[in-house]
Amino acid sequence: MKIVPLEAYLILSLLLFGLGVFGMIVRRNLVAVLMSTELALNAVNVAFVGADSHLGLVDGQIFALFIIALAAVEAAVGLGIIVAIFRLRKVESSDELTDMGG
Amino acid sequence: MEVLIILFPFIAFLLIGLFGRRLGDLPSAIIAVLGSALSFLFSIPALLKALNSPFSVKLYDFISLGSYTLTLGLYFDPLSAITTSLVCLVSTMIFIYSIGYMENLFGQWTYKFYAYLSFFLFSMLLIVLSDNLLGMFFGWEGVGLASYLLIGYFHQQKYATNSALEAFVMNRIGDWLFLFGIFSIFYLFGNLNLLDIFSKVKEIDPNLLGLAVLLLFGGAVGKSGQVPLHTWLPNAMAGPTPVSALLHSSTMVAAGVYMVARLYPVFESAPQGLKVVALIGGLTALFASLAATSHTDIKKIIAFSTMSQLGLMFLALGIGDKNSAMFHLTTHAFFKALLFLSAGSIIHAFHHHARDIYEVGGLRKYMPITYATFFVGALALAGIFPFAGFWSKDLIIASSYEASFSLGVFVSFVSFLTAYYIFREGFVMFYGPERHKGHFEEEPHEAPSVMLVPMVVLAIGSAVVGFFEGWYMDALKEHKEMHLNIAISSVAIALLGIGLAYLVFVKRFLDPEKLYQSLKPVHTTFREQFFTERLYHKILAGGYMLYSKVLYATFERQFIDGVVNSSYAVSSALGSLFKGLQQGRVNLYILFLLVGFSLLVLITFLGGR
Repeated sequence: MKIVPLEAYLILSLLLFGLGVFGMIVRRNLVAVLMSTELALNAVNVAFVGADSHLGLVDGQIFALFIIALAAVEAAVGLGIIVAIFRLRKVESSDELTDMGG
Repeated sequence: MEVLIILFPFIAFLLIGLFGRRLGDLPSAIIAVLGSALSFLFSIPALLKALNSPFSVKLYDFISLGSYTLTLGLYFDPLSAITTSLVCLVSTMIFIYSIGYMENLFGQWTYKFYAYLSFFLFSMLLIVLSDNLLGMFFGWEGVGLASYLLIGYFHQQKYATNSALEAFVMNRIGDWLFLFGIFSIFYLFGNLNLLDIFSKVKEIDPNLLGLAVLLLFGGAVGKSGQVPLHTWLPNAMAGPTPVSALLHSSTMVAAGVYMVARLYPVFESAPQGLKVVALIGGLTALFASLAATSHTDIKKIIAFSTMSQLGLMFLALGIGDKNSAMFHLTTHAFFKALLFLSAGSIIHAFHHHARDIYEVGGLRKYMPITYATFFVGALALAGIFPFAGFWSKDLIIASSYEASFSLGVFVSFVSFLTAYYIFREGFVMFYGPERHKGHFEEEPHEAPSVMLVPMVVLAIGSAVVGFFEGWYMDALKEHKEMHLNIAISSVAIALLGIGLAYLVFVKRFLDPEKLYQSLKPVHTTFREQFFTERLYHKILAGGYMLYSKVLYATFERQFIDGVVNSSYAVSSALGSLFKGLQQGRVNLYILFLLVGFSLLVLITFLGGR
């Protein structure tokens, strides 16, 4: 079995994380921001699991499981908030939600 | 056993201070009298013991600093033991007197007055008996505090509080010098115990010692109201009369003279310092007696007289006659307390309203006992045989003639003035027209017996204490020849002064009014103490006020307020600058998060290397 080198995992993880953060910054649609967050979280999962397979441990995998569970919860809560905001304000763009501005 | 002497007034102070309100004013007064009287009783066996051989009583180790342990204790030798008995006796008389004098204030928290009095006595005894300079300094400060509280006792009057403040500030200048004197003594001797200092005094460089002596003498100048720190002393008359009597006879002002006498071996080893002592003393003696000749306040004349007599004591100390100075202090305590108590009796007769000698007159027939006691005190002060002042003043005059003829003439002149001003006051108040009829509605009345008894006791003391001269000099191990010609001439000079006062103020041989008109500028100069007080008030106090006002207008208003005000503008500008970043855009916040986190990571990596 051909072993995938650690660098490949890490580069993939970095790319995914960068994409996620990029998405969080440039997208105005709240649902898209939430999806970018998921992407960033899963980039971390990739890094954990890749490191695990390289080191022959299971700790990272357990962490990854935790993060997946957490991401699910976060998605549920985040989507709930977005739906509530949409019902209240009829907006879905973060540009129009600047009430906390100074 | 001996420690009880000093503890009784302190216990009285604590009892009255803590429970005086519940006890009431009269019981508080009785406790104060008891504390003082018991101290006097216990001081007699200590005195008899000290006359045989001086002894120390160790109280406790106050501070131990490695190799050096500062022990607080009491030291009894003839000088301190006699002064202790004197202080306690005179204070007891004054305390008893004050029951009558303060009676109209009973019920108005007068117990405080007795607490202060007891504390005053305790502090004075600490100065007198302490066997080291630090203990003496504690008493020194305690006396200053008590005098502040007592001078300002009528604190509803602005004048009294100002006088109290002035006394405190002037004393503070002196205390500051005294403290530095103690530092320099410790630096030179490595010790503060009096006996250790005396035993090592020959080994120290006289020049350095002279500096230390001058600093110590600065403390005495402040405490004893000598020129140039004298202005508080006449103003201290704002306090109740028993306080003036206490302040001027045995406690406060005597402390300065006593301190110089106590440290006399040190002063003796610095002859240059002694010259300064003599100079200041002589200057004050003349200065104050001139002021007394023209002042018209009942109590201030006697206050100036105290200043002048203290000046004579310092002069005697300065020319090397310590024992005469201390004997004069002893006799002076009697007749000065007596004069003040008699003056207080007159003030009391007019319900505390009389202040000026020209407001009263012809009191001889209304107050015969006060008249008699006042004139006993005046004769003693003038130095007429056989009253107390004669014996002690004669010693001082004799030793100044021994020092130099011109100094003797000077002292004789001061005693002439002394006799003149005190009899001027007596003749104006007790003879002549009854001026009080125009000023006061009520008839003057003789004081109650609680006031008269101490006055009579002190009058007897003033009359007879001079005969103890031989015993006193024996106790202090010194014998002096009486010079008959000096004794006769000094009595003659005093009689001359009395005669002048008699001619002017009773016989009206010279009309005082016309005299006053023709000598007005001189009179005003003397009365205003050569304008020193005004000078201090205008130049020093006024200058300081001006300085403060200028600083307020420039530094305070412009600089400090300017900084505070501009801090608002700066923070508001900064705020509007950073407000742009806080737009409430979630995406931007995430960008900032990213930038910040990246910076942190970068710093960690760079720093980790």
